[in-house]
Amino acid sequence: MVLVKSAFLATVCSCLAFYSAPIEPTVVASLIAQGKTAAVKALGPEVLPVMVRLYESSDEMQRTRIAETFYQLGWKSQAAKRVLMKDVHTSNRSLRLQVQWALGRVSNDDDVVDVLLANMENDANPLFRDKAACALAYDQIHLTEKQKARLYERLIQALSDPKVDVRRIALQALSIHTGQTKGFNPEAQVAERENSIRQWKLWLEEYKSNL
Amino acid sequence: MARRVQIQLVILFFLLTLVLQGQLDPSNVLVSYSFDDQELATGPDTFAVFEKARGSVQMTTEVRFSGYRSLEIRDVADDGDFPELQGYFKLRFSGKLYLHFALMTASPFEELNIALAGPEWFKLRKNGIGFWLRTREGNLYQYSDSMPKKLLPIEAFVWYGVDVAYDISAGAYDLIIHREGQEKPLVSLKQQANAANHQGSAVDKFSFIGDTGEDKSNVTYYVDDVVIGTDERIVQVPFVAPGRRKLFVDYWSDSQRNSRGQPVPLDIMDPSDLGVGPKEVESLKADGVWELLLQMTGGQRPRSVTSSDISSESGRLLQAVSSWSNGCEALRRGEAAAALGSFEKAESLVPAGKIFGLNAVLSLAALGRWQDVDARLSAIHAEWQNDLRFPAALAMIGLARQDLELAEGWLRPHAESVPDEIGLDLIRRVRSGPLSTPGLDEVRRQFPESWQDAVRDAWVAEQYFFVLLWKGQPAAAQQFARRMVDRYQRLGISKSKWLERMGDAAFFQNNFSEALDYYESSLKESDNAGTLVKVSDVYFRLGDFEKERLYREKIYGSLRQK
Repeated sequence: MVLVKSAFLATVCSCLAFYSAPIEPTVVASLIAQGKTAAVKALGPEVLPVMVRLYESSDEMQRTRIAETFYQLGWKSQAAKRVLMKDVHTSNRSLRLQVQWALGRVSNDDDVVDVLLANMENDANPLFRDKAACALAYDQIHLTEKQKARLYERLIQALSDPKVDVRRIALQALSIHTGQTKGFNPEAQVAERENSIRQWKLWLEEYKSNL
Repeated sequence: MARRVQIQLVILFFLLTLVLQGQLDPSNVLVSYSFDDQELATGPDTFAVFEKARGSVQMTTEVRFSGYRSLEIRDVADDGDFPELQGYFKLRFSGKLYLHFALMTASPFEELNIALAGPEWFKLRKNGIGFWLRTREGNLYQYSDSMPKKLLPIEAFVWYGVDVAYDISAGAYDLIIHREGQEKPLVSLKQQANAANHQGSAVDKFSFIGDTGEDKSNVTYYVDDVVIGTDERIVQVPFVAPGRRKLFVDYWSDSQRNSRGQPVPLDIMDPSDLGVGPKEVESLKADGVWELLLQMTGGQRPRSVTSSDISSESGRLLQAVSSWSNGCEALRRGEAAAALGSFEKAESLVPAGKIFGLNAVLSLAALGRWQDVDARLSAIHAEWQNDLRFPAALAMIGLARQDLELAEGWLRPHAESVPDEIGLDLIRRVRSGPLSTPGLDEVRRQFPESWQDAVRDAWVAEQYFFVLLWKGQPAAAQQFARRMVDRYQRLGISKSKWLERMGDAAFFQNNFSEALDYYESSLKESDNAGTLVKVSDVYFRLGDFEKERLYREKIYGSLRQK
């Protein structure tokens, strides 16, 4: 009897959810404009497709705010990733930073890590390089242990980059993830750096063997 | 029968623990919770219970490893937070620490985390997490050398006894895990690198939680017989009130004294502090790195510099600012030697950056190198003597020397000269963010006549109040705080902080009813956790233990039986 009652309640609830009013894009846009992320969150994951459509039809300033809201929600969404990736090379400073930070919080796809690594290593603007490294350090919240190993491998590779700032930010990202530097000094002579890189590679091998 | 097995297991674990620890008597024990005691008071010297979402931390009689109760921690996915039992013990920098507990999970495929950590909290870094166990996908892992290492598949509703001998100095630990009913350990590992592989990583807290932030865990698990001991005899100050060995007010005063007695870096007020004048600004802008420099001075995210594709001048400036920034972080962390090295490097790169030299002096003060302090101070005195931040810097040096007279002497004329009428817009503007931000420049432009008053108000007044309090002059401190309350009242801005300070001064004069009035007035203006715990102290002093508990538990939570 109890089971029957529970099943009935579950059916009623799911029907109510099914027939609940659709989320109004204007309401979402207004909440985002006012920075009311908690209210956006309260709408549940159903708000994500609405935000994606808003993003696609917005100007850069509004896209920046939506990207920031994606970041704050931290919910995985393929659609969000798809639209954010279109702006991952924009020269609009605010939009670029928010997009770089948000990507790792909406997706754990390899290409997100790849594009951030590419920005970290090759972007013409040092600020964008630096903040791509920040995103890799702090915002890859959905990575599996295997994906983390892949990220670490790429960051360890970046320790050999000819640009000293790339070596420095790669080390910073690694040390934020692991709490270690293995004595790597980005400004040291090649031989000294290689010695530390060997230690990092040994560490990575052990990391992988534990997966 | 089951009960007899439990008793045998308790004895077995107890014996193993003794073997592991060598000797454990009450004088070696830092923490011991069997969860059987009638009353377990939360507080800064026991533990805190966090149940901010739908999860719970409760004592239960339904299962237990020993005695008649254990602790149940239940996490709920997607509820926005995780439940936690976070325990505290005296900070240990060296020697050995022994941790023992019994663990049983009802849901092996749901994540749980157990950790020992230090002053850097639950982060992978030195003085952060030292020891870390977690479950994932039905297995128990240790986090050693910054990587998860599988220990064993964990079974539901089976007690596991965990014993850790943690060598703080070596940064390594031995780990033994027993399954209930088996004499032979399932895990017996020696010399495992600690969580982030750091020697001398201090510890002072432990934690039992569900998952660590993804909010996907629906775990329910049980903990019993938590014991933390050391290899040396320790003297624990007795509890003076529930959950605390000192009153909250004394902890607060000590922490203020420690933080103010430990020199912190002076912030910049102008790019010229860094040796960046109009010409350099143009050069940085031309190289496209001016915003990067502003970001670096803001200190909100990890910084880096570039030197490969910009002019050597900009590269040199950025390197100096990067070194200065590293120095500031190091000094705030209490790593004065590293800070000194960074400030000296910055100074050698850009000698015109006057902030580098003064922060180097503050690092020397933190190191107690007084001869060097005096020599360097006289060298930079002329450059700094008219700077508003100089009295604050000198007071920090006085406090680091534990010379309150000296500190008061530096502060008094500046604190007493905070004018009664500070422009409202100005003070609002200054108080809306840290003084170090480039926004101060805008404040200075908007208020060319009076901006210095606001800076005095922000930097000197509080420090002066504390120095009076620590000099044993609470009445004078209260009088000063009253003047500040009156000033803020006239300005029509929140005076909650100074009302709280009046309450502090009243408390130090043993005038508890008056202290309560001021604290409550302060709370009406601003709901501040720090004030709540002081209210708990006041009620304790007034003998109202129900309200003492009510306010203490607003901060530290409560542990109740299910």
